[in-house]
Order: sequence, then C-alpha cells, then structure tokens
Amino acid sequence: MAVTDAGVMYGLLAVGAGLATGLAGIGAGVGEQGIGAAVVGVVAEEPGFLGKGLFLMLLPETLIIFGLAVSLILMFAWTPFAALL
Amino acid sequence: MLRPVEMSRVVVAGSKDVMEPVVEKLHEMRLLHIVSYSGNDKSFQMGKTMGKGKEFSESLIKLRSIERYLDIKSKAPDVTFSESDIVSKMGNLLESVGDEVTTTFERITTIETEVKSKQDQIAALRPLSVLPLSLDLYYGYDSLSVFVGSVVTPVDADVARASPKCEVFSGSSKNATIVAVFAPAEKASDVSTVLAEHGFTDISVPRLTGTPDQAIATLESDIKRLMGEKDPLQKRLKDLNKQYEDQILAADEYLSMQTQKTDAPLRFATTDNAFVVDGWIPTTQYETLKGELDRAAAGKVHVEKLSASEAETQVEAGEDIPTKMNNPGIVKPYELITRLFAIPEYKEYDPTLLIFVFFPIFFGMILGDVGYGIMILLVLAALKKKFRTEGWQQLINIVVIASIWSIIFGIFFGEIFGPLGLWGYTFGNLPHEEILALEHSGMFFGEGVFGPLGRLGPLGMFPMYRLATNAVLLLIGVSLFIGVLHCGIGSVLGVKTELNYGEKKHAYFERLPVLIFQVAFALLLLGLILGIMPLQIVSGIALVIAIAMMIMGPEGVMGATHLPFFVSNLISYLRLLAIGLASVGVAFAANKLAFQVIMPMLSGGSESPSMVAFIVGVVVLLLVHFINLLLGILSPFMHPLRLHYVEMFTKFYSQHGGGVEYSPFGHVRRYLKV
Repeated sequence: MAVTDAGVMYGLLAVGAGLATGLAGIGAGVGEQGIGAAVVGVVAEEPGFLGKGLFLMLLPETLIIFGLAVSLILMFAWTPFAALL
Repeated sequence: MLRPVEMSRVVVAGSKDVMEPVVEKLHEMRLLHIVSYSGNDKSFQMGKTMGKGKEFSESLIKLRSIERYLDIKSKAPDVTFSESDIVSKMGNLLESVGDEVTTTFERITTIETEVKSKQDQIAALRPLSVLPLSLDLYYGYDSLSVFVGSVVTPVDADVARASPKCEVFSGSSKNATIVAVFAPAEKASDVSTVLAEHGFTDISVPRLTGTPDQAIATLESDIKRLMGEKDPLQKRLKDLNKQYEDQILAADEYLSMQTQKTDAPLRFATTDNAFVVDGWIPTTQYETLKGELDRAAAGKVHVEKLSASEAETQVEAGEDIPTKMNNPGIVKPYELITRLFAIPEYKEYDPTLLIFVFFPIFFGMILGDVGYGIMILLVLAALKKKFRTEGWQQLINIVVIASIWSIIFGIFFGEIFGPLGLWGYTFGNLPHEEILALEHSGMFFGEGVFGPLGRLGPLGMFPMYRLATNAVLLLIGVSLFIGVLHCGIGSVLGVKTELNYGEKKHAYFERLPVLIFQVAFALLLLGLILGIMPLQIVSGIALVIAIAMMIMGPEGVMGATHLPFFVSNLISYLRLLAIGLASVGVAFAANKLAFQVIMPMLSGGSESPSMVAFIVGVVVLLLVHFINLLLGILSPFMHPLRLHYVEMFTKFYSQHGGGVEYSPFGHVRRYLKV
C-alpha cells in the first residue's frame, strides 16, 4: 500500500524522528549509567581523575547525537523531498 | 605558546658551610624544580633536617591545633604582615593566646559531654515517673536484685510464679508498660528469663535521689546552667578568631616556609662536607640563578647546566622533565580545563591556546542568545566580587569570554530570550509585502515546517532563525566543517608530537591518515550535496589512500577498524547545532505559552487578560526562562568540553601519559609581606 496522503507521510516522518532521538537517548543513558557510577567512585577516592572520568563518561553521549542527526535529516532535509512526491 | 617553557637540567654543588644561605636563596627565587635524591649512589647520603627544623615543626603542629579549635580556614588575605612582626608575635600566639584557646575549647568540650550525659539521664528517668518509688529505692541492696524496664505484656503473675517472694510495681506510660521487679538475688536468673519472655527492655536507673520528677527538674536546671556557661565561652572563641585570624594565618605561613627550608636537605645528596642539588629550571633563568647563588654563597658553590645529551640520559633513567605551561594572561584561565584532563608532557603540545580559541566560540554557538548572554555576564560580575579564590576567578574568566561570544552569536541568530523571529510569530506574522520584497531580492529563505521563518536581515540570513529549515541545514554543514577544522588541528599536532618523540611510523601512518580521512570525508559529503563530480572523485581517491595508509600503519588492519570512530568524531560536532536548538525550542515555547496568556488580544482573544491569567503567565515566563538559562550555562559548558576532551585530545594529547607540573622550591607569600 503506497502512502499517498502527505499528512500521513509527514506524521510518520515525525514519529520516526521522535523514535530515533528518543531511543538513542535511552541507549546513551544506559551506557552512561554504569560509567557515571564508576567515575563517581574513582573521583571520591582520587579527585585528580575528574577530567579523565568526564572523558569516559561523555563517550557514549555521541550516540544520542547520531539519533538526533537522523531526526534532523528526517524532519528537515527529507521534508522538501517528501513534498515533491 | 603551544609549547611549554624550555627547561634545563642543572646541578648545584657546594660546601655544607653554605648550604643554609643557598637554600634560603633558592627558596626566595622560586626557580628550581628539585629532583629528590633517590639514595642509589653509595658515595652520597640523603641530607638531614637542618637548624631549628624540629622546633619549627613543633610550633607548626601547635598552631594548627589552635587553628582547628578556632575554626580558621585559608582565605583571601585582608592584611599582610612583615616577617619580623610575625616572629615577635609568635610567642604570644603560641603561649597566651594558644593556652586560652585550648582551655576554652576543652571547657566547651567538657560542658558538652556533661550536658549529653545529663540528657541521657533525663531520657532514662522520664518513664520512671509512672512508678510510685523514689529513686534511692532502686539501688543499694545486697540480697535483692532489681529489674527496671519496659515490657510488652503484664508480668505480675508469671514473676510471682518464678519467685514467690517478690514485689512488682508497674505503671503504663504513653506507649509502654514500665515495671520495677524486686526479687531475691538467688532467683535473679529465673526472673530475668521470665521477663525476657515478656519483651523486657532494661532501663539503667541513674543513681540519684528524690522522685524522678524532682530529679529531672534538677538535671534540667543543671543543663541550663551549663549552657549558660557555654555561650560566653563560644563567643570568646569567636572573638579570638576575629582578633587573631590574620596573625595566625600569617604565622602558619611563616612556619610552613621555615620548615620547607629546614627540610629541604632531605631531598639533597650529601657527603660529610658537601651537598648536591639536582633540578630543572627554565633555560632563560639559568644565568640569573647562577649569579644569585654565587653571590649568596660567596663563590663557595658550583652551578652547572647539563648539556642536552646529558639531560637526555637522565630522562631515559626515569626522570620527568617538569612542564611549565607558557600562556599569556588572557589565555591562562583556560589552563584549568587542560589541567582537569592532564598536565601536558614536556615534549607534548599544550592545548590551552586552542581551548582558548575554540571553547568560547563553541559555547557561544550553542547558547547564542543576547538576553541569556547578558544575564550570565551580570551574574558573573556579582560572583566575581563574592568568590575571590583563584579557582573561582579562573572559572569566571572562562565563562566571561564565552558569554561575550554567546552575545555575538545571539546577534547572528536574532535571539533575545528566545528567537526574535518567533517573537514576530508570537505577536502576529511579518507583513506580506515584506515577504514579497525579500522574495523579490532573492533573500527569502522560504517557509519552514514551523511557519514563515528564516527571512530577515541584510543577507536574508542575518539574523537567521535557528528553528528554520534552511538555518538547520546550514548549521549542520557549518558544524561538520568546524569539526573538520578542530580535529584537523588536533591531527596536525598529533603528527608533530609523534615526531618529537621520534616515532616516525606512528606519525605518518597513524596520525596523518586520520587527518586525510576526515578532510576527504567532509569534502566528499560536500561534493555529494552540491553535486560536484570532480570533488567527489578526488575526495573518494583520498579516502581510499587514507585507509590504505592506516592498514600499512603500526596497527595493521586493526588500524582501519578505528574508521567508524573518526566518522563519529565529525558527526559529534552536530551537537553545536543540536544542543542550541533544544534551548531555542524551550525559550520559544515559554514565550508563546506566556504571551498567549498575558496578551490574549494578539491571538484574537479578549481585549484584556484576567488578573490570574496575567500572574500565571508572568510566573511561567520567568520560571521556564530561569530553568532554560541554568541548562543554558551547564550544557554549553559540558559539551564543548567533551568536544575538546574526546574529539580533539584523542588526536594528539596525553597519548604518552600525563606530565609532571613544574613546582619550583619556594613559597608564594599570601599573608606575609615580601
């Protein structure tokens, strides 16, 4: 079944974009959870590791940017093309 | 500025006669980063504490305990003292003031213990007031055992069965039954078993006289009297703190300096008649050091600079060359960010200057709001007066520059407490003829998904509205290319760092391909978007070459598995746009919500808002903007930090482990006059 209604099309795009950012956010959160706990432990013992701890903790954060990039492409870059269909 | 200060390895050797003046001079000059003698050489021993070292450390311990009693903490100095002034005051501080402080503090401690024990007695006495016995009846028996406590169920009958000769008193208070059981001593264990079955909890009766209520009254008046004694004592301590705080801090500094000097020989190598000090100093300072030491020791000291190759031998033997970061005043606060990660190694590049350039721009690009920028500046101006410690001042200076950038970007993005363009949207759309005029001049960016946005300014994009489609697309591109530039600089420094360490293979086949790969990747994207065929082909070839170089590199095929990491590095820079969009979104929502309530006439509602609606609107507006501002300080700070730590530093920094900071022998005077 082809989606012909532009409104439905746009709605689905929006749902997809939301899922992309949201799920990526959950993933990044799960990743950071463990690292964050460990980093707090290390920093409590040895405050000098704050910078390195931050570094490790911020690593999985890129995931959410990936999700966001997909959303942005869906919402902004894709929409003009969709309108042409 | 990207490199630390050049260091030289020096050796100071002299007769023990002149050790004291040499140490004194070294301490005063604050130039020599002393390398402690390891004790490996048979012909040298470690030095011993000299002069009045023991005396000084004893005084220091005493002074520190006075500081603890008076609750004196290090603070920004209000007054400074001359050294002789402090020496003359020292006796008074340590003897009469010290004694008074100690006795006062000890008396307070005794009072507190007494009060505590009296409070415990009161707590034990309270339940007993339900029993008709005076306190002296509870103790002093030879042949009787006394059990006093609370029980869960009545005990009279059971106790009588266990010990026929007994007397039981019971009474019930608010939430428990209190009993006092008197039984012959030989039946004590039986009675105690029975009581245990009834959930007996023991109360230890204080050895006092009179009825419980009388005893409580006496105790309470005692506590009151003791507290009355304590208050003036505490006030006395506070007065002493106020009166002597500055003097004590200065005395602490004086004694610390003296112990530093007297303990210095512990780090020297000595023989019976001579001493040798090893250390590093900034190369430019060598002549000064030599001259000053010669003068101080009247020529009885020999100062020598090791040649580069000799110094290299020392380094290979495991000595660290200390790093002294070399940045001008305005860049210096940003060393805080570098330091938070690691001190650069002597042969590495110091990234502080790069952080100074990029960090505030990133911050500004993310926050990008004139209103928020000014608010942050105002808050910082207040904080700067309040927090005068060095760390806070550095942090504040960092954010000051960043918030100025956010004002500049705010003008670009047309945002004052939310997008200006959306203010227009909130208050009604732009006049049709204006859109027509823009369209006519080819400056109309079209209607985005969110409505007629992205259409003002001399170039049609200035101010651009970040929520408009075209602005988002433009910013995605800009962010990516900022990433290429930022990572590229990192890669170039990475290549040079590896060459400094003499690792050619790592330089050309591990660091260089990353640079080529990232640039080619970005150019390929550009070629695809703009549809430029030659660019696509050239950058495609460059990509293949980069990957081939990586495979030839020290890690082999494994090296190529890092490729996704380098792609994600670049995509990571999209946060420059993304985090900003989130905060614009929140500000927009706040404005729209609030102004629809506050001014309903603008969206075709009633002519004047009700009082309640007006108040709710204002509260919502202030609250949401406040929260957004807080987030707007935090995330634009954390995310550029990440871009530096993860995306840029991994290209060149701290690959060989952190360095050792240059900390010259000496002391920065804070409370003492120079």
